Amino acid sequence: MTAGRLVSLVLMFSIAFALSAPVAAQPAGTLVVGVVAEPVALDPAQVTDFNSNRVGRRIVEPLVAFADETTQIVPGLAESWTISPEGLQYTFKLRRGVKFHDGTPFNAAAVKFSIERQIDPEHPAAKLAKYPFANYFFGNVKAIDVVDDATVRFVLKEPRASFLVVMAAAAASVVSPTAMMKAGVDFASAPVGTGPFRFGSWTRGQQVVLEKFPEYWRGAVKFDRVVYRPIVEDQARLTELLTGTLDLIVGVPPDFVAQLEGSPKVNLMKQVGAHVWYLGINNQKKPFDDKRVRQALNYAVNKDAIVKDVLKSTGAISRGPVLPGTWGANPDLPVYVYDPARAKKLLAEAGYPNGFSTTMWVPESGSGMQSPSAMAVVIQSNLKAVGVNAAMQTMEWGAYIAKLRTKEQELFALSWAAGSEDPDMVMYPLFHSSQWSPNGPNRALYKNEKFDALLAEARHVTDQGKRAALYREAQRILVDDAPWVFVDHEIQIAATSKRVQGFKLHPSFDLRVEAISLR
Amino acid sequence: MTRFLARRLLQLGPVLLGVSVIVFLVLHLSPGDPAEVMLGANANREDLERLRHQMGLDQPLHVQYLTWIGHVARGDLGRSLWMKRPVLGEVLERFKATLLLTGSALFLSTVGGIALGIVSATHANSLLDRLSAVASLFGASMPVFWLGLVLMVIFALWLGWLPASGMYAPYGGGGLRDLLAHLALPAVTLAAASVTIIARLTRATMLETLGQDYVRTARAKGLGDRVVVWRHALKNALIPIVTVVGVQTGYLLGGAVLTETVFAWPGVGTLVVQGILARDVPLVQGGVLVIAVSFVLVNLAVDTLYAWLDPRIKFQ
Repeated sequence: MTAGRLVSLVLMFSIAFALSAPVAAQPAGTLVVGVVAEPVALDPAQVTDFNSNRVGRRIVEPLVAFADETTQIVPGLAESWTISPEGLQYTFKLRRGVKFHDGTPFNAAAVKFSIERQIDPEHPAAKLAKYPFANYFFGNVKAIDVVDDATVRFVLKEPRASFLVVMAAAAASVVSPTAMMKAGVDFASAPVGTGPFRFGSWTRGQQVVLEKFPEYWRGAVKFDRVVYRPIVEDQARLTELLTGTLDLIVGVPPDFVAQLEGSPKVNLMKQVGAHVWYLGINNQKKPFDDKRVRQALNYAVNKDAIVKDVLKSTGAISRGPVLPGTWGANPDLPVYVYDPARAKKLLAEAGYPNGFSTTMWVPESGSGMQSPSAMAVVIQSNLKAVGVNAAMQTMEWGAYIAKLRTKEQELFALSWAAGSEDPDMVMYPLFHSSQWSPNGPNRALYKNEKFDALLAEARHVTDQGKRAALYREAQRILVDDAPWVFVDHEIQIAATSKRVQGFKLHPSFDLRVEAISLR
Repeated sequence: MTRFLARRLLQLGPVLLGVSVIVFLVLHLSPGDPAEVMLGANANREDLERLRHQMGLDQPLHVQYLTWIGHVARGDLGRSLWMKRPVLGEVLERFKATLLLTGSALFLSTVGGIALGIVSATHANSLLDRLSAVASLFGASMPVFWLGLVLMVIFALWLGWLPASGMYAPYGGGGLRDLLAHLALPAVTLAAASVTIIARLTRATMLETLGQDYVRTARAKGLGDRVVVWRHALKNALIPIVTVVGVQTGYLLGGAVLTETVFAWPGVGTLVVQGILARDVPLVQGGVLVIAVSFVLVNLAVDTLYAWLDPRIKFQ
């Protein structure tokens, strides 16, 4: 046989093989979800990323939950709760008759176990895992008392009105104590909870399978199993959806939205998430310690162009840190409209008629960062138009967050996904002066005593109406002080195959597949 | 020969030790540590300090390295800081997928490359030779991720012949045919650049060999064209080709990262990249060690092959 014949034979064979290998369709009861990265682990108390939590939250649940389409608190594993008048004691009445997937009864002791393992170094389960956000979430918990089998009381060190939101966080989920003590370190990959799905299998790098839990207390879900496939490449995820091998994808890149909108094969969904993308300003460094300079930067940036041209309308223009339309948002906040002339005037008043030079740090990617480089390029040219020369430095994410702890920053692009509409979850960590970097995430080094006092007061009041009034006033002060250039709130995009019914995106960025029924 | 092999295998020790020190230092000297990456933008000081302590990052560098190497000496590569799972099992499982992908690509590029090269050489300056030259230029200059996406759009999206990504279908899959269908696009993508390099080199060395006296003698003896090319000329032309195939193996092992990412192939390359981004020292060490061992073994195999191809080459 000559080489030429060999080559043509191989070619013919591969084409024949290809033709005979039809792409299989899903079985009726299986939902296949394409995720942008493989989950790290599935016990939410041990992870910090969206991808892991989106899967883990199907297995374990917290005492209180978010409503279907908002982040208002509704009952979960706790049927009801009472808050002591001074706001220091939260007593939860637990749902009776609920069982973990391994048959262990759900009770007050399990709740105590699930939280105490994270904060008490002497706890038997403390050594079995690292709990990255223990202090952030539960640092304020003084004691957890088992009142009786179906009643548990949390005693706080200081009042914190957003404590119920903390108790709705993934890290506050209740796990089966027997299962964790049995599995030890490996519990992280295969947790046992009370959720709508139980852990099925995990083929590394390929898929995580969760099986329907038939005895789920809210009622069993309407399909048998969900398969999560990590597919990093956007085009591959999209192709799999269009060829019918995936049922649901999230994280659709802006450039693909138009293509999907016209497709008869998929449904496209959009939802504004509890997130904010901002250009941070170092409020303590010259010339940014002058309010007029910070306001000038806000007038100089064309947010409309960023949202329309870079993000292709996958972002909503932001007026401040709190998600518009939620109970804590101030609807009367002034907007910094795109007004370069006014920006120049303010700079001149502040003593910089010819502008100045500065640096702008940008991560090349990162959770919640949308399209950081492209957005930063628009900002850079907007600033140049009013005389501010911002030299752009792009960094890898790990290096970037390390650098942001140095206080050397001048302008920096960052985002925050509070996962809740409660203003305390975004305003306190990002703007209260006790949270200055490196103590906390206030990297703009913003400080305003009146603002600090309003935020502290709002933590002590449990009435939502009174809290809202305090936060509205705080937002008015904040936006006037302009510690950041407020840019946008991310609009999440999901696409599903036509057989997926009843799915809704959630502002907390959770992916609630249990609501789905398959046609 | 046995002494040569033993000596070469003994050299593996220092090589791996060197690799591990370099990986360790590079990861530690690059800004950001695993605790910081894990906590991200939300970090407060207490959580960061506690996590650093739990991960042992508050220890001096040499203590951290010696602790790690101590575990390795006992056959324990540790647990991934990030995924909490044992590194050895994780890396070996992923390495199987990488080996399958790299092996298939190597097979395609070697067989295809040598065949194309010989045809080009025996039909020098023919239409086929010219086409092969154009294809080579194309193959060598195309970025892997771009070619991968183009093939995916054509064969998965438009024609619907092959699955777009993954290693097995998530349901009802698992057979050999399912695996081969999933392997086809990534293997061809990964092989594309190598096949052209091997083809061009084979053509050049074959042309040179075919011009030598002993080939003319063989022809003069009345041997058929096929015997002259395949039996007499090819073996002598193979030495530079084997060298390049060896180098290409290293390239394929490293280059598999991009292909694995594009096609969601569950290989060790993507795992190591994720590990680097998370500054997950034990995980990256484990992955790099496995890749380094295989690279050294491939080089050893190439050196051994020389002696078989050309008996004049002796091992000292």
